[in-house]
Parts: sequence; C-alpha cells; structure tokens
Amino acid sequence: MINQLPIINMLIFLATALIIPLLSKRTFKITLIFGFIMLLCVVTSSFFLIFHIAEHGAILYQFGGHDSKIGIEFKVDLMAAIIGLFVVGLTTIIYIYSCGDETEGVEQKEYGRYYILLFIILFAILGIIYTNDLFNAYVFMEIISITTCSIISIKRKKETYAASFRYVMLNEIGSLSYLFGVALIYMVTGYTNIDWVSQSIQSIWQLYSINIIIALGFMIVGIGIKAAIFPFHIWLPDAHASAPSSSSAILSSIIVKVYIVVLIKLLFKVFKLDILNHFHVSTILVIVAATGMIMGSIFAIAQKDIKRMLGYSSISQIGYIVMGIAMFSSLGLASAMFHIISHGLMKAALFLSVGIVIYKKKIKKKNDFEGLAYEMPITMSVFTIAALGMIGIPLTSGFISKLTLGMASLDHRQGYLIIIVVLSGLLNVIYYLPIIISSFLKSEPNTYHPFKIEKVPWPMLTSVILLGIGILTFGIFPNLIMNMITQAAELFGLI
Amino acid sequence: MQIIQAFVDHINFIGAVALFLIGLHTVVTKKNLIKRIMGLNIMGTSIFLFLVAIGNVTGGVPPILQQDPNVNYINPIPSVLILTGIVVVVSMTVYSLSLTIKIYEMYGTINQDELTYLIREEEIHD
Amino acid sequence: MDDRIVKSITRLVIPFIQLYGIFIILHGHITPGGGFSGGTLIGTSLILYTLVFGLLPSKKKFSHRMSQIAESGGIVIYVGIGLIGLFLSGQFLTNLDAGFPIGEPGELFSAGMIPLLMITIGIKVASTMVSLFHLLIEGDLDADHPGIR
Repeated sequence: MINQLPIINMLIFLATALIIPLLSKRTFKITLIFGFIMLLCVVTSSFFLIFHIAEHGAILYQFGGHDSKIGIEFKVDLMAAIIGLFVVGLTTIIYIYSCGDETEGVEQKEYGRYYILLFIILFAILGIIYTNDLFNAYVFMEIISITTCSIISIKRKKETYAASFRYVMLNEIGSLSYLFGVALIYMVTGYTNIDWVSQSIQSIWQLYSINIIIALGFMIVGIGIKAAIFPFHIWLPDAHASAPSSSSAILSSIIVKVYIVVLIKLLFKVFKLDILNHFHVSTILVIVAATGMIMGSIFAIAQKDIKRMLGYSSISQIGYIVMGIAMFSSLGLASAMFHIISHGLMKAALFLSVGIVIYKKKIKKKNDFEGLAYEMPITMSVFTIAALGMIGIPLTSGFISKLTLGMASLDHRQGYLIIIVVLSGLLNVIYYLPIIISSFLKSEPNTYHPFKIEKVPWPMLTSVILLGIGILTFGIFPNLIMNMITQAAELFGLI
Repeated sequence: MQIIQAFVDHINFIGAVALFLIGLHTVVTKKNLIKRIMGLNIMGTSIFLFLVAIGNVTGGVPPILQQDPNVNYINPIPSVLILTGIVVVVSMTVYSLSLTIKIYEMYGTINQDELTYLIREEEIHD
Repeated sequence: MDDRIVKSITRLVIPFIQLYGIFIILHGHITPGGGFSGGTLIGTSLILYTLVFGLLPSKKKFSHRMSQIAESGGIVIYVGIGLIGLFLSGQFLTNLDAGFPIGEPGELFSAGMIPLLMITIGIKVASTMVSLFHLLIEGDLDADHPGIR
C-alpha cells in the first residue's frame, strides 16, 4: 500500500483541482477549508514516504504494469521525497497567506480560478520530481509553464499582459530546446527511460560523441532558460514586478527550484561523470554560476521597485545553487540541496512580508520604507531575519549553506571560488541593509509612538511568523535535515 | 560527389534542423507578435519532423496489424511522442493568441517596438 | 449569415461530420486517430454551427455550465478508470491484469479499457475547442459586424 503513495498524492491534487469548479455555487470558505485539508493530507503522506524510503530504498512504480523499456516509470528516491515534502510544506504556508489577502492579491470573482491553477501546478510539480522518463518530464514541464504564466497574469491590469507574453515566448523556446535534446538522445539509444538511457550511453558514447554533446548542450540551455540561470534570466524580474505577492513567492521559491532538480537528475543519472569530465562541463558551469552570482547582485543594486530587486536577488542565489552542483562532489550537491530549501524559505518570507507592507501601505519603491518598523513590527522583524539570512549572518540558515559551499570548494582545491562567494555576500549587504536600517532607525519627526501590533488579517501574519521560525530553526539546528540530505547526495555516486 | 550523396541521404534531418533555425530566427528578430507565435509553431513542427525521420524504416508499412507475417513495420513510438507534442504546441498557441487579443485591446498595437515605447511612457508617468 | 443555401447545406452536413468524428474516436485502437483527432472533428462541427447560425443560438445549445461539466467529468471518469486498476491489481491504469476484457486484435470490442479512455478524451477535447472559440469571439460583437450576432 505504501508503494501507491506517490500516485495517490498526485491524484489528490488533481481531484481537488477538478472538484473546485463544481463547488462554486456555495460560499467560498468551504473551498478554502477543503483545499487546506487536502494539502495537510499530502504533507503527512510525504512525511511517511521520507521515513519509508530512508529505510528501504527507492520505490519503483510502473504505470499499468508495463515493462520499463516501453512504459512510463516513476522512481521515488530520497532526494525526490525530500524536495517533494519541501514543495508541499512551503505551498501550505503560502496558501494560508493567500486566504487572507483580499485586495492586493486577486479579485473576489477570480478566486476560484486561482486555486484551480495552484492545484494543477502542484500536481505537475510532483509529477516532474517523481518521474524517471525524459519525455514525461517534458509533458509536466509544459503543464507547469502554461499554468504558471496564467497565475502570474491573473490580475487584469495592463502591464501584466506584455510581461507574460515575453514569459511565454522565452519558456517555450526553452521547452522546445529540451525536446530537441530528448529527440537526439532517442536517436542514439532508442529509449527514453533514464536508467536504460544511461546504461546505453555509457557503453557507446565514443562512437556518437557529436550527437551526445549536442543533446547535452540543448538540454542544458533549455533547462537554463526555465531555471533562470544567468545569461537566460531575462523573464524573471518582469514577471515579478506585476504579479500578486503569493504568486511571486510561489514562482521564485518553488518553481525555479524544480527545474534545478531536473538538471541534477539529468547531469548525474543520465550523463555520468566520464562523459561530463570529457567535455569540461564542470568548468563551463562554474564560470556561468560565478558570473550569475556577481551580476545578479550588481543589477539588484540599481533597482528602485522592491519586487524587481528581490527578483534579481533570486538570480544571484540561483547562481550559488548551480555552483554547488558544478563542483561534481557529494558535499557540493548536499550544499546545493540545502540551499534550495533555505533559499525557498527566505525568499518566500521576503516576498510575503513585502506583500503585507503593500497591502497595508500601498508603497512599492524601496526608498519609502522609512520608519515602518514602528507601525508593523512583526513584518519588519521577519523581513530583517530573512535579509540577514540572505547576507549570511550566523544563526540563520543562509549561513549554513554558504559554509557548506565553502567547505565543498576547499575540498576540491578550487579555493578561489570562496573569494567569489564572499564578494557576492558583500554585494548583498549593499542593497539589503539600507532598507533594514531605514525602517528601524529613522522615524518621522514629531511622532514617536511605541511598538504596536499591526492590523492585518491573521492568516497573513501567521504564515510570515511560521517562515521566520523556520529560518531560525534551520540555522540553529541544521542537523535536522542535513543528515538526510547528505545521505541523499551520496546515493548519486559522486566522490 | 560524396558530399552531395550524403546530403541527399540525410535530407530529412537537414530539413528539420533548417526549420528549427528558421523558426528561432523568426521568434528573435521579428517585431510583430503574431509572427513570433508562428515562429514557435515552426520550431515545434521541425522537432516533429525530426522524430518522424528517426522512426522511418526503409521499405516499411504503417504500423497497423496485417496478416502477412514477414513485413517490416515502421517504429510506432515516435508517432505517440509526436501526438503528445502536437497537443502541447496547440494549447500554447491558443494561450498566446488570447494574450495577443488582450494586448491589442489594451494598447492598440501589436508591434513590439511601439509596445516597449508605450510601457516606458507609463512607467515614467507613474 | 442570411444566405439560405449555406444554412440548408450546413444543416445537412453537420450530422455526417459528427458521425465521422465518433467513428474515429471509437476505432482509436485499430486505426490511426484516437481521442484527440476525433474530438477535434466534433469540435469543428460545432464551430461551423456557430459561424453559420450566429453566436447566441450556439450558446443556447452549448452553454458554459455544460462545458464545465463536460471537462471536469471527463477527467474524473479517466481517473476513475485508472483507480479501478489500482484497487484490483496493483498499479494505476492497468489494462490486462485488472480484468478488462481483451479480445482478438483487430476487432472493435477489444483492447480492454482503451476505447473508454478515448471516449472521455474526445468529449474533453471537443468541449475545450468550442468553449475557447466562444471566448475568443465574444469580444468581437459590435454594431459593425451584424453577421456574427
């Protein structure tokens, strides 16, 4: 029975997305509570999955009982289970936030559509994490692309349409490029299943080296466009500037990370280390990641709109994750996975607290944050904790991931990368610290009032407080998840 | 002579790659929004042509069961992959076209240069 | 449109188009085609009806509520058929091991659950095409185009 849990999780989300339109005649609170109960069911079943897989090994699930050479197969190993739990848990917290957001988010009659799209996105994310088949990953990738584009442009304002058109164009070029790579691999091996493909490629890659290098190039470019790696990042800031806050949080914390998981599976399970070392992929990825870390921060300093600034900051943090992957060692991979989780928490906390500020005060420029901490203490405290985590101050989870990344780069005699990590941290200081200082230390003249709890709807405050507690917990006790992440990273067979 | 022989033997693959590049060039350089959507369709079609050319067997018949025991069928798996791909490309085209209609209602133009100019104007007045 | 020839020919031709679409859906496991192509044919016949007779009579025949039920119901039945396989034998979407009757290859009543899945896909594709066409053409109604009203 526990072997059926992955498919039951996905079907719960699909069934919820289909039942919501039929419930639209009743009051809306029933829909919200129903969705929340389904999310909690999937969170508990993901917990069970992690403990079961840590003891017994990966779950192999063939659809319809067909053999894996001709059918579709799901392979749920430890990394997939951990990222699955992270995605569903973070979405539950953002769901709690969006229940209370009435004006800056979506309008009242659009509510049903927003939640249908959200559950379809979750269904497709679980599918792309669990799958063991390259073409199946393409299908789920397209589902995520179109529904994400709809969830960003759900406010019917003028500037959302042009931004989402550019988003669709770039993402489709990425998907079609990935599909071309899959077609080239099918031409060489005749399978699309990951296990059979890697077995075939390992024995014959000397004969077909041109096909394999072109396929590798197309697939890395395609996934790079969708994961906002540095030269292909153009769509991300525009998409953030015009979206509601909960959609921005989902886009920047969850969806971009899922494509990095696909990149990890592609590099380390299909093309294993012999091929990658022969074509110097490690050097190329390190250069791309290092450039992204620095240039993302430099662009962020110049922005005036706060959501665009947070978007460019995401690009530089994704550079960290790709640098961890590009080390090709299990400590680097463990640091990349830990940073996926910790950056997700921190970026969601930043976007949601900015969303509360916009809801209450209707400001958007980053220079208008003066004296805000006296009126909204809880929001600005969580913003401060998350921003310090981005910089890398100890006691937050951002410090642990930078530390692990530094240890991984020293292990591999590439110590010059530490300079780039530290430089990027200093650049982060330049644009986060003025906001914190101006909100806590300057106040309007002639009005000194003590701290008071702000009057915003309680779901928004609860979700932000939960995220702040999460960042501090993973900073002080990282071994809660670091042991399991290290165990998952060693299963990939890197040194 | 060798080169021309190799070119004619692999004409399907060369055509697919040429179509992919033509589609990519259209998306990147043209200014009209509808021409860019057509460019995406051309890119998708080129990949389907590539998949069909992979699955071809010289002297094969369509993969429908026949009574004759020694007849070569062509590979049916690329056809299945192409069917899924066509559905995906069609749904993406429909979505982009409805976005184009909304952009035309809001801004009055579907030329990318004029759109950028109008958006900058609004940002300055904001 | 006001032309009597076009209207009478359309009234004659639409049932045959729909019959051909149903033939392609039901023979999805024997001949090329299946759910997607057959659903497109049925959707195209309803779009032809919209173009000839106007938007309002077509919306009476195929309203928004019906398209909601068709789309949701189609996927729910698909998932239900898959779950029968899950409960009876072991994996989702099982065909032979779950007891669906598999006849001779080449007959109409064969291949287990595949014709049932094709029918649900056909219904869903037809409903999607028609509702998208109605949505895209609604914005075009104004006094300059009396024909499409």
